[in-house]
Amino acid sequence: MTRQLTVALVLSLVAAAASAQSIDYDPRRAVELRPCDDHRYRGRSDQARTCYSKLLESETPIVQAEAAWALGDIKRANEIFRITVQNNERAVQPRVRWARLFLQTHQYSDAAELFGEALRVFPNDVHAKLGLAGVYAERFEGQARPLVDEALKTDGDLIEAHLLTASMDLEEGKLDDAEKALDRAMRLVSKEKLPPLEVYALRASLEMSRGNTPDQWVKRILDYNPRYGAVYEQLAHFEIMRRRYKEATALLRRAVEVQPDLWSAHAELGSNLLRLGIVDQARTHLQAAYSGDPYSPTTVNSLRLLDRIDEFSVSVDPVTIVNDTFDVQLRLHKKEADVLRPYVLNLTRRSIESFSQRYGFKLREPVTVEMYPDHDDFAVRVAALPGIGLLGVTFGYVVAMDSPSGRAPGDFHWGSTLWHEMAHVFTLEVTDHHVPRWLSEGISVFEEWRTGPTPGVAVPPEAIAALDKKQFLPIAELDSGFIRPSYPNQVQVSYMQSGLVCLFIEQRWGFEQLGVLLRQFDGKRSTAAAIEATFKIAPDAFDKDFDTFVRTRFANVLANMNEWQQQQQAARQAIQKERWADAVEPARRAVALYPENVGGDSAHLMLARALDKLNRRSDAIVALEAYRRAGGWDPGALKELGRWLDEAGRTDEATDVFVSLNYADPLNTELHSQLGERLLSAGRAEDALREFQALLALNVLDQAPAHYGVARALRELGDKAGSRRHLLDALATAPHYKPAQALLLKMIEERT
Amino acid sequence: MAALPASAATYTVVVAGLGGEPAYEQKFREHAAIVASAAQAAAGSAGNVISLTGDAARAEAVRREIKQLASRMNADDSAVVVLIGHGSYDGDNYRFNLPGPDLTDADLARLFDELPARDQLIINATSSSGAVIERWQKPRRVVITATKSGGERTATRFAEYWAKAVASDAADTNKDQVVTAAEAYAFATSQVESAFKAQTAMATEHARIEGDNAGRFTLARLGTAALAPDNPEVAALLSQRGSIEQDLDRVKEQKASLPETQYYDRLEEVLVRLALLQKEIDSKVGGGATP
Repeated sequence: MTRQLTVALVLSLVAAAASAQSIDYDPRRAVELRPCDDHRYRGRSDQARTCYSKLLESETPIVQAEAAWALGDIKRANEIFRITVQNNERAVQPRVRWARLFLQTHQYSDAAELFGEALRVFPNDVHAKLGLAGVYAERFEGQARPLVDEALKTDGDLIEAHLLTASMDLEEGKLDDAEKALDRAMRLVSKEKLPPLEVYALRASLEMSRGNTPDQWVKRILDYNPRYGAVYEQLAHFEIMRRRYKEATALLRRAVEVQPDLWSAHAELGSNLLRLGIVDQARTHLQAAYSGDPYSPTTVNSLRLLDRIDEFSVSVDPVTIVNDTFDVQLRLHKKEADVLRPYVLNLTRRSIESFSQRYGFKLREPVTVEMYPDHDDFAVRVAALPGIGLLGVTFGYVVAMDSPSGRAPGDFHWGSTLWHEMAHVFTLEVTDHHVPRWLSEGISVFEEWRTGPTPGVAVPPEAIAALDKKQFLPIAELDSGFIRPSYPNQVQVSYMQSGLVCLFIEQRWGFEQLGVLLRQFDGKRSTAAAIEATFKIAPDAFDKDFDTFVRTRFANVLANMNEWQQQQQAARQAIQKERWADAVEPARRAVALYPENVGGDSAHLMLARALDKLNRRSDAIVALEAYRRAGGWDPGALKELGRWLDEAGRTDEATDVFVSLNYADPLNTELHSQLGERLLSAGRAEDALREFQALLALNVLDQAPAHYGVARALRELGDKAGSRRHLLDALATAPHYKPAQALLLKMIEERT
Repeated sequence: MAALPASAATYTVVVAGLGGEPAYEQKFREHAAIVASAAQAAAGSAGNVISLTGDAARAEAVRREIKQLASRMNADDSAVVVLIGHGSYDGDNYRFNLPGPDLTDADLARLFDELPARDQLIINATSSSGAVIERWQKPRRVVITATKSGGERTATRFAEYWAKAVASDAADTNKDQVVTAAEAYAFATSQVESAFKAQTAMATEHARIEGDNAGRFTLARLGTAALAPDNPEVAALLSQRGSIEQDLDRVKEQKASLPETQYYDRLEEVLVRLALLQKEIDSKVGGGATP
């Protein structure tokens, strides 16, 4: 193996990182290292450094490597491990430890490969298994738990395995299970006389998760090691998991105060401050993190994003809802800010209006919406958060999402994404960020269906397949479907299940009860307890009733899954062969069986296309209207619907369809141009003005019609000076533009 | 912006090279047909346009036709050459792919130099065409290439949008019903960019233009725009219009230096004159035509 760690030039700066490793509970750890470890675990940095320095001359290479690692000399440690492994193809422990070094430098794939190599040499090595489980756990992958269980079955005394179990339990909200795992870990730590710091840190997190103060555990830790900032970092990790970013920030500040060289805490603090929009402080901590740990891609990417922050423009607009005024801050890329701003602002305002009323909550702070044309920049904002949707994320009052320009038209409906994220703003803030993940996502999905820009209960086939295979989770465990998915698509399925749970609550107990359930989450109540308190029904009974509800609602498709697939296939093949008449009945039957399928292969679309080709335009319109009512929003299909409605003389309905396209395809020049003209003809000058201004902001080659459009809209709105200016701009660009010339002469005539 | 002398003629050569596969073959023919048809309408004569496509577009035929054309031209005429198809570049030589032997950049340069017309517009819409731009430069010659260098080897989209530019009013941004080379270039490059953006695909071609005043080449006349008015009264009015357009250019040049109110007042004064004159021209020509 010729693997080399990537070593940056700043390595000399990391010499002080003697505390970078966590407590090493590996029973195979060399005895010579223990006294040095003890200094380190007690926070006696100088003594630890002196002690480890002496071991650099040890005759045992692995001891040398561990000492170099503990002293922060990653390059030297890497080299010794590399030579050791090279000299002994069957060496297991050096491989496992080398893999741990890779883990610390954020190179998870390489670490996983080395753990895998160790397991190929010795398939039952529990430490390699445990290490691999750690990699999976770090990435929030479902394979982590079975591997830990396997390791524990072989050796029930593995302290680290109990700690990893407890940590995953805590992440998934299984607090009682976490407590049991910690009890087992504590017994072993006491027996082996090992430092209890990690057990205490997780104890503290458990207390906090139960809504109690973690202070007693923090005190015990700091009594043992006054420089153990990791406890605060651990507590912050669980706060971030619950999206409690402000609380996490306070904890992370404390972490770096207690232990200034805890680079991972600096990095997390920087990311967290960025989430809260506190940019300058974020930069300071990210730079500190980079100075000590140049290996973290999260830190590097965040700093790169900050370097380009000037490319974004920030606007603050007040929006008034009844008697209240809220500030909305938009952070949009300069190249598209002028086009997107009116639509983003309008939808944000509408969402605030809708959710304030539906959930009886007034926002307490300005809302910030950020849109990133480059998906990688957006990805930096969501780094380290598990199971977050790929399109948007909400950090309390800050929403970050992909911009429509970052994806091809039709790839995503930015309006629905914003609506979804704005629902999170409310569910998080109503509960002071105590809402469980499943309910926050559930309400967001439910609101997309009920009040969003593409209303309709759209449920994709993978959710139906999961329902069919009985893969829906009990309500009390639904969070784990987001946090540590155990099969492909489980996160997506969990979104749908959560939305359907909210739909079930609305249908069974009424919408108001959804708000009542939401308010149960005060940081002390579990999902099970909240369900019981709200609906006076045990979680098991709730699950049973929900199962009946979804199976009734989707009875048709569940009972005829094979037939639905066959009809879809038959319609698809007929369309491919342009045998339009043969496509109609299979497509119609597929729609009847499963109308909620509005994805790219929707039978609604096939039916509409076939009917249109058969010159049955009015039936084709009915098919596309049904598609739209079910939540379908494909821009191509809706453009077709708009055109057909126009041709059928249903101009106003066509205009509505075209207006809705702005929330899917807002950078389409043709759309803005057409809409501007339509709205102007319909006497909707203000809306027309918005469209022509968007056209102008798109900086199209042919600027004259856009200026001319703005001039006419402003004229209708009584702004003569603005109108004149844009009219003259139109003619300065295109001096022979006849309609503009005619308007100019008319304007002069009116003036004289 | 000085236009070409009214008495001079414009001669156009369009060559669609080897497609290599039926889909490209057909596209190249279509684009060539559109460009040739626009050129005929602009010149007012089919005799001024040579179009070579498919098997007829062999190197020998290209040489022969250009030499024949050269013998019919004089220095005051202008020449437009449009190359559509695939090109290649091996680091030294550019080759325009034709049925049979290809033509190299040096072969083509010699042919262009044989054309007596001082004003020349060469559009190389092929892949790797950027390799020729410096080699073909010459005073009063405008060279347009679909790619920025010989390294952009992917089949280009430029010709498709060039054809669109000369076949509709989409590129006519000043609305005078005439599409110039400058307008067609601006339109085609913007459409190529948008097409890649719409597919969120990395752009594999970046067009270039070298040479001054591409606006002097008329590539298409739209609608009822007359080639040259017979009516001396209209001709006088058009000359008057030309001088107002020059006034307009002067006002526009002052935009940065004038206070805003003054700029728009001056703009209005010139534009009202232009609109009134246009009304008069239209009434003489009839039917709302725009000469």
